[in-house]
Amino acid sequence: MIEFRQVSKTYPGSDDPVVKDLSFEVLEGEICVLVGPSGCGKTTTMRMVNRLIEITEGEILIDGEPNTAMSATRLRRKIGYAIQQIGLFPHRTIADNIGTVPHLLGWEKGRIRDRVDELLRLVGLSPDEYRDRYPAELSGGQQQRVGVARALAADPPIMLMDEPFGAVDPITRERLQDEFLRIQEDIRKTIVFVTHDIDEAIKMGNKIAILKQGGVLAQYDTPENILSRPDSEFVSSFVGADRVLKRLSLTRVGEMDLEQANGGTSGLPRISDRMTARAALSELLGSGQSRAVVEMEGENRLLTFEAIEALTSTAGQSA
Amino acid sequence: MSNLALLLQDVLQEPQLIDWEWIRENFWEDIVPAVQGHIFLSFVSVALALVIALPVGVFSARYRKVYPPVTFVTGILYSIPSLALFAILISIPGVTIGPAPVIIALVAYSLLILIRNTVAGLDSVPPETIDAARGMGLTNRQILFRVELPLALPVIVAGIRIATVTIIGIATIGAYINGGGLGQLIFDGISRQFPTMIIAGAVLATALAIIADLLLLSLERYLRPWARAGRT
Repeated sequence: MIEFRQVSKTYPGSDDPVVKDLSFEVLEGEICVLVGPSGCGKTTTMRMVNRLIEITEGEILIDGEPNTAMSATRLRRKIGYAIQQIGLFPHRTIADNIGTVPHLLGWEKGRIRDRVDELLRLVGLSPDEYRDRYPAELSGGQQQRVGVARALAADPPIMLMDEPFGAVDPITRERLQDEFLRIQEDIRKTIVFVTHDIDEAIKMGNKIAILKQGGVLAQYDTPENILSRPDSEFVSSFVGADRVLKRLSLTRVGEMDLEQANGGTSGLPRISDRMTARAALSELLGSGQSRAVVEMEGENRLLTFEAIEALTSTAGQSA
Repeated sequence: MSNLALLLQDVLQEPQLIDWEWIRENFWEDIVPAVQGHIFLSFVSVALALVIALPVGVFSARYRKVYPPVTFVTGILYSIPSLALFAILISIPGVTIGPAPVIIALVAYSLLILIRNTVAGLDSVPPETIDAARGMGLTNRQILFRVELPLALPVIVAGIRIATVTIIGIATIGAYINGGGLGQLIFDGISRQFPTMIIAGAVLATALAIIADLLLLSLERYLRPWARAGRT
């Protein structure tokens, strides 16, 4: 668990803090997304966790211990670090890159090699093919996978990720996000994730911390609550006028409570249960029909506008 | 200089430019020691210059304020004509003619190039690579030796290449103050009006420069396997 306690950061020679009096907790195994407009101090906030930036006031506790209890380098070796520009070592092979922290921690060669292969498979790259290559030989998406693998190398309980999927095209980004969420289901890391993209925040976060100019926490809550009950004008304008639609993207069709279809489904559009309610709504609107068929657990069910609408009115209360 | 003019006249009239007989007879006695002396002068000078330039370069890259005065001083050293620098050096009390002042002068000439390339090499390291290294828990020392210097090395070696080639050329003039090396052959040839010695000295100095250049070029390439990989 990571605990921010009245954390402030003011740079020398400046009167205005970039982060002001920040207090919140990131629970074990959760992804906390820091999001906000540029200049809101979200990256600064993240970098204070592993002391790449030192705090001016307040403290950050990691599992109850202040993060200043050990040397900065020892602390950093226990915290995974992945950034948008990736920062792979161009002169080192993929295997050496991923093995950086295990090597610093003095793991045996064989153990490092096994771990590298395991991680390459985890992020969907064939170890035999990629282990001995140099970063320049990989595509942007592959490099970002390696960047995530490198951050995971020594199996740190905590990860810091600063727009880790930012440097690739939207399609690749979405795939990387999905894959990472799938990986996270198994590894259950405590993650501080920085992005400027509210859609990414909604998709990736168990909790979202919205920061505003001057590093002030505007709202800290689940994506559901942020979308259904924005605390302030700032939050509601930041999440956007389409926040109702965004809420729909939190639910997959397969998770919806849908009525069984009793015959007469021919001619109706068919929708996958993996689709988000938002995408399903779009499909439905596009089809010109008022109902669509979803196959769930071998049964045909009916997706209607009413079912989608019910989602928007109950989501807020149920969360 | 009038010697040289006379000699050029001779060379043009001389039916036999190269006296192979002389070369055979004096090969082990004159030519080989001259080549060895030249390699010694150049190698020692570049090595000493590197010992100075690397730390100064790293320091200048870290503390940017130091860099302009450093380039100013080394720039002045670089711009002094070599003959004048030799003359200045041997006029200093305690400095006798011989290889020592030659090496001092050659070191002075290499500093600018080597320091500049060290700084340029360190500057070329992507900042995000350093940030990632720091974020993963490498110490400053580890970042310098495992990330920055290896990545800067090809640029530093490129500087060594330029410095070496320059120095092999200037070292010939060192014979003027008894520094030894291939310049000795050239100066002796001029005073004896014997073109074979001049040509031998000049050709060998050029050959040395070309060989050193090619060797360092292949070293430069060898140090950058990742860039080669990127191009394929």
